[in-house]
Amino acid sequence: MKLYYFSEMPHHEFPDEEGLKYPSLRLEFPNRFFNPAIAASNYQRYLDEYEFADQAGFDGLMINEHHSTPSCVNVGVNMTAAVLGRITRRAKILLLGNILPIEDNPVRMAEQIAMADLISGGRVLSGFVRGVGVETWWANTNPVHNRERFEECHDLVLKCWTDPGPFRWEGKHYHFRHVNPWCLPLQKPHPPIWVPGTASPETAIWAGQRGYTYVPFLVPFDIARELFDYYRQGAAEAGRTVTPDNLGFLICAVTADTRAKALEAGRHFVWRMGPTLRAPLEFMSPVGMRSRAGNQFALRARPRSLAAMSYEELIAEHFIIASTPDEVADRFAYIQKELGIGHLLLEAQESRMDHPTTMRSIELMGAEGHPHDGRARLIGAAD
Amino acid sequence: MEPREETMSVGGIDVHVWKGGRGDPLLVLHGAGGNRGFTRWLRQVAERYTVWAPTHPGFGRSGDADWMETVDDLARFYLWFIEAAGLGRPHLLGQSIGGWTAAEMAAMSPRAIDRLVLVSPAGLKPETGEILDVFYYPAPQLRAMTVHDPKTIPEWEELYGRPPTPAEVEIATRNQEMTARLAWKPYMHNPRLAHFLPRVTNPALIVWGREDRIVPVECGEQYRRLLPNATLSVLEGCGHLPPIEQPDAFARLVIDFLGGARP
Repeated sequence: MKLYYFSEMPHHEFPDEEGLKYPSLRLEFPNRFFNPAIAASNYQRYLDEYEFADQAGFDGLMINEHHSTPSCVNVGVNMTAAVLGRITRRAKILLLGNILPIEDNPVRMAEQIAMADLISGGRVLSGFVRGVGVETWWANTNPVHNRERFEECHDLVLKCWTDPGPFRWEGKHYHFRHVNPWCLPLQKPHPPIWVPGTASPETAIWAGQRGYTYVPFLVPFDIARELFDYYRQGAAEAGRTVTPDNLGFLICAVTADTRAKALEAGRHFVWRMGPTLRAPLEFMSPVGMRSRAGNQFALRARPRSLAAMSYEELIAEHFIIASTPDEVADRFAYIQKELGIGHLLLEAQESRMDHPTTMRSIELMGAEGHPHDGRARLIGAAD
Repeated sequence: MEPREETMSVGGIDVHVWKGGRGDPLLVLHGAGGNRGFTRWLRQVAERYTVWAPTHPGFGRSGDADWMETVDDLARFYLWFIEAAGLGRPHLLGQSIGGWTAAEMAAMSPRAIDRLVLVSPAGLKPETGEILDVFYYPAPQLRAMTVHDPKTIPEWEELYGRPPTPAEVEIATRNQEMTARLAWKPYMHNPRLAHFLPRVTNPALIVWGREDRIVPVECGEQYRRLLPNATLSVLEGCGHLPPIEQPDAFARLVIDFLGGARP
């Protein structure tokens, strides 16, 4: 099983009581609390941590993109991918991902991902996401077109990568008369495609039909299994075989030299489960963005919101793992066995978790040859 | 004729219609909240006019129209509807996005309609204020902002006094989705409409609530300036829903205007 390091690049340097004055930290929390000096220093720090995760032996470095929120100031996933492509040497760079429905120019997106793939020497894993509602507001894209635009944007990006130009694209949402990108991916026929999921059966089926790697984010195990079943249904329709390499899962994880230190560090993940997700339903799921089936599944998938769970409950249900390297490795092995996955994505820095704690956790979790090397043990167990 | 419901096929779409009354035809286009049928104001108006109150495609119990993108599309559809229903040259009344649709229809084809009543219509960008983003707020908060004072509304209990049934929730969701489809961007207005309104010389009545928090009353002034033959009537103590909030006063305004002397 492969391990991926991930930070949302938070900007949590503001008084929490200020955030509580607004209906949500997303969209409404005023950007006068954004501090450019701190952000400049944070970007250096976060990039240092990614660089170290590469050196420490992580199989992949995951990055994502959000807007109008202090929970994630990585506002350009392709930009970050290009930087990581240059400062790291070995790990895959997992973009999870580009937010297709809000993109107005899929040709430029195809070029930018290709450029990151070229700079990194062919290490890009290209994730495509539908985005949460906040990004739809940010881009002012009509939410009723979300799925149509996701699929059409995907089709055009793939065509840019695989069909010789010049060609013409006259779709429903995208119109380009002269497509001839002079920047194509190093990997052929194109970088592997990944798709995350939280609640949409349609997305799982769609990914399965195409053989893309599918990754549920922070859902209970039984829901992950159900989504994997939808994925297998899609794969079967297309005559594809599903292997662990097609399936991943995302959790939060930190380790430290002692259990007590790890538990203290793990508390920083609670911020992303509650305060950063606090928002009216309309912000996260504007009208028409999800299908009725998706809405119904979402209600079932989250009988209790993550925000309503205590730190201890989040640990008990494996949304957060925070312990000694040995115990963390055991928990990873348990998840692998329960879900049959080939990729475990670790949100491994969050909120105000400081740099030394993050670096030590990366070192303990990822370092090859370390006596408590979770990765080495897991690779042994999986192979 | 007692109000009754029927379904008509227009342009391949099954349209649900409330129909009733006596007299010259009056086409009534509902707002984003959907077709409420023959409520108090409409029963009064139906004593003088034969009312056709269709449910927009994609709303309520009418068929889907996923291909529609803008209120222009809906306006063209209703010009077709007028022909298909054999309404001749009906009076046209529209409320909120229905009012916007009516204004677009008049701009496209002024001779297809007789007199025009626009009730708190969207469609024009306010010169100073903003049209409230109705998709951004939870339903209870939005309802509170839609009307001025629920206590003064005679049909409040009848319309909103009980929790909606699952079928009503489904209809409300459809209504919202179709509204988003038609009016998401540019939000609730057509930047080109103002250029066409001076073509509409039909007698027009514009009705607004002084306390409208959805579409500011300044838009009523803009419509009045742009339409050559329009009068603006502003109701005090009234929000975005004059037909519901002040049904008797509103019905009287409409009846007086439609029955008034030809200019």
